[in-house]
Amino acid sequence: MSIPLTEKYRPRSVSEVIGNKEAVSSFLEWMKSWEAGKPIKKSAFLVGPPGVGKTSLVIAYAKEHGYDLIEVNASDRRGAEQIKAIIAEASKQSTLAGTRKRIILVDEVDGAYGSEATGGINTLASIIPRTNIPIVLVANDPWDPRLAVLRNMSLLIKFSHIRQNEIMSHLRKISEKEGVKVSDELLKFIASRSNGDLRSAINDLQLFLTADQRIVEQLKNVVSTRDRTKSVFEALAEIFGATTAISGRNVTMNLDVDLDTLFTWIIDNLPNQIKDPQALFESYEFLALADLHYSRANRLQRWDYIKYAIPLLGSGPGIVKSKTSDKGGRFEFPSKIRFMQETREKREKIKSILRKLAMKSKMSQRKAATEMMPFIRAILGSGKTDIAKYYELDNEEIAIASIGDNLLPHVMDENSLTKDKEKVESVKTSQRPRKRKT
Amino acid sequence: MTIQETIPWVEKYRPKTLDEIINQEEIVRSLKTVLSTKTVPHMLFTGPPGVGKTATAHAFARDLFGDRYIEDGHFMEINASDERGIDIIREKVKTFARTIPMGGIGFKILLLDESDQLTADAQHAFRRVMEQYSTTCRFILAANYSNRIIEPIQSRCAVFRFKPINPEHMVQAIRRVAQLEGLKISEKALQALFEVSEGDLRRAINMVQTAASYSSNIDDDLIFRVAGITTGGEARKILELSLAGKFEEARKLLREKLYVDGVSERDLIAQIYRESFYLPIKEEDKLKLLSLIGEVDYRLSQGATPEVQFMMLLSYLYSLTKERK
Repeated sequence: MSIPLTEKYRPRSVSEVIGNKEAVSSFLEWMKSWEAGKPIKKSAFLVGPPGVGKTSLVIAYAKEHGYDLIEVNASDRRGAEQIKAIIAEASKQSTLAGTRKRIILVDEVDGAYGSEATGGINTLASIIPRTNIPIVLVANDPWDPRLAVLRNMSLLIKFSHIRQNEIMSHLRKISEKEGVKVSDELLKFIASRSNGDLRSAINDLQLFLTADQRIVEQLKNVVSTRDRTKSVFEALAEIFGATTAISGRNVTMNLDVDLDTLFTWIIDNLPNQIKDPQALFESYEFLALADLHYSRANRLQRWDYIKYAIPLLGSGPGIVKSKTSDKGGRFEFPSKIRFMQETREKREKIKSILRKLAMKSKMSQRKAATEMMPFIRAILGSGKTDIAKYYELDNEEIAIASIGDNLLPHVMDENSLTKDKEKVESVKTSQRPRKRKT
Repeated sequence: MTIQETIPWVEKYRPKTLDEIINQEEIVRSLKTVLSTKTVPHMLFTGPPGVGKTATAHAFARDLFGDRYIEDGHFMEINASDERGIDIIREKVKTFARTIPMGGIGFKILLLDESDQLTADAQHAFRRVMEQYSTTCRFILAANYSNRIIEPIQSRCAVFRFKPINPEHMVQAIRRVAQLEGLKISEKALQALFEVSEGDLRRAINMVQTAASYSSNIDDDLIFRVAGITTGGEARKILELSLAGKFEEARKLLREKLYVDGVSERDLIAQIYRESFYLPIKEEDKLKLLSLIGEVDYRLSQGATPEVQFMMLLSYLYSLTKERK
């Protein structure tokens, strides 16, 4: 599965677009008015939450009806200038027979900030009345005040969340085409947590299709009993919505996952949920304290101590969050689990290197990791691999230790990574690292 | 000029005999007295890393038993930090101390390196092992912190406190290495080396070898560069990312250190402590940070989970970004 499923299963015709029937038909009507030579409005403004098919609809329509789709970035003035040039050129050609039809798609109109973006928006607004090519604008937030001018001159087409059963049946189709059997429970689970975002649901599906069995099992566990007990997502919603210590105390009641798992989910979701830096720190303080009580309970086998950890982790983040204006986002699969999965191979290699270093240096692996490894990596990074022989490192280990780490670029110029000593000499003056001053 | 790099210099220039041990004159003198009487007590070597504890133990054994002190079974080294559990250590000691080798002097020597990595419970168990085998085996325990060794063990040992390598000895030792390796090293570089190695000779020699792999002409600038990528460089990067508001990147790098590079949480907290003094934050915030680091250090010793505790620390730095704007 080398291409993302979201690309592989992008709709190829308008009929394949899932959901938002009303939006689809008003888009078709708008395009029909262009075909007829009397556009209702010069531009259409497609707004709605992410992953509900706004861009996909335009792409599918263009493909189906033989349009060339010109995708432009609106977030800077250059994007707007580009549109100007395209329109100017197109108006010259429009009289010539055989010219391909075009649609201009301006994605993520609300995606950029700063004066450059404002410039882009203003330029767009001046172009639209004069265009003879359909211009489609796409944005998430329909009420962004900067977009008011574009909103008023365009046909506003609103998209909304995709219904859960529509997502579910689509996921089923995809997994069947991929030749993987996925249980209804799991599909329902993915669909329900996607919040109506089909793209994220397909992405999640891809994760499950490619994930190793352990994680699938872990998640199936979460799903299989969610009818009877509280899922980790429900627990997270309670936790980040908590305003009282009592609700925090009750959060683990009927919870199906173990506390370790829940804790990982809370810790990893915290930065998505709480953006305010001060509030984030306060929440981490509660979680760090919860961890302290929890690990103490584990170490001393004093399970009654867990009661001190639960309210801290169960309501700390919520209580802090309630003081801020943070809205919080979708709960995500713990990034730590992903991280551990992605780095498994590298971790094993590094471990094997550390074993060899430790053995040869007659020290523990722990000590070798800080006292020898950084130097060996830096020496190998200079291109001198002689030292690897002493430690009996094989070629793969040399590659892992010297390349792929980003130790050197932090301090040295990219150039100094070369084996050439003179180069090191010449760049030395160009970038000086911190000199310690107190 | 070609530089012979096949052998790590810390190995190549490791002292072989007590006479080659630098900076620890009193300890060498006492150990020589012990040698002349051949009445060897249990010994505890404490002191910071890279000051010669393990090397002294080996040199002592070599001077006592001769060059084949390991091959002939007079001396064994166990690493407390890697050996899983006290039972495995006890088993190893049992096998080693059961017999007295031919041509010996009536006992063997066992070096338990990084012994402060043993938990208090494991140390109590080890104390009994020491007593059980004390007729056939003398123990040398090496540790960074004597206060992490339980008192009953301390009271059974002659305690030798190793000092950080002083500037003169450090410079002398490095000059010698530089001369033998055909390197040019500036006065300022030597000074820089002392500063960044903090009296740790292993680190200093490793740094010189790393620097030499980039240039045979070593100045202070190169030393600082090497320091930046080897000692605490990534710890500093983690702190700086947090301060810059790049919280997720900081978390990723933290995970790289902890889970991929195998850096222990105690070593990481030590690096963070060292680096925190140089962060571009208000001095009062720095003091709060130092106190938090101390708190995290203590919690880690109590078995807390490193990642959460470190994230709390980093989120403190992140919270300072708001005020600075």
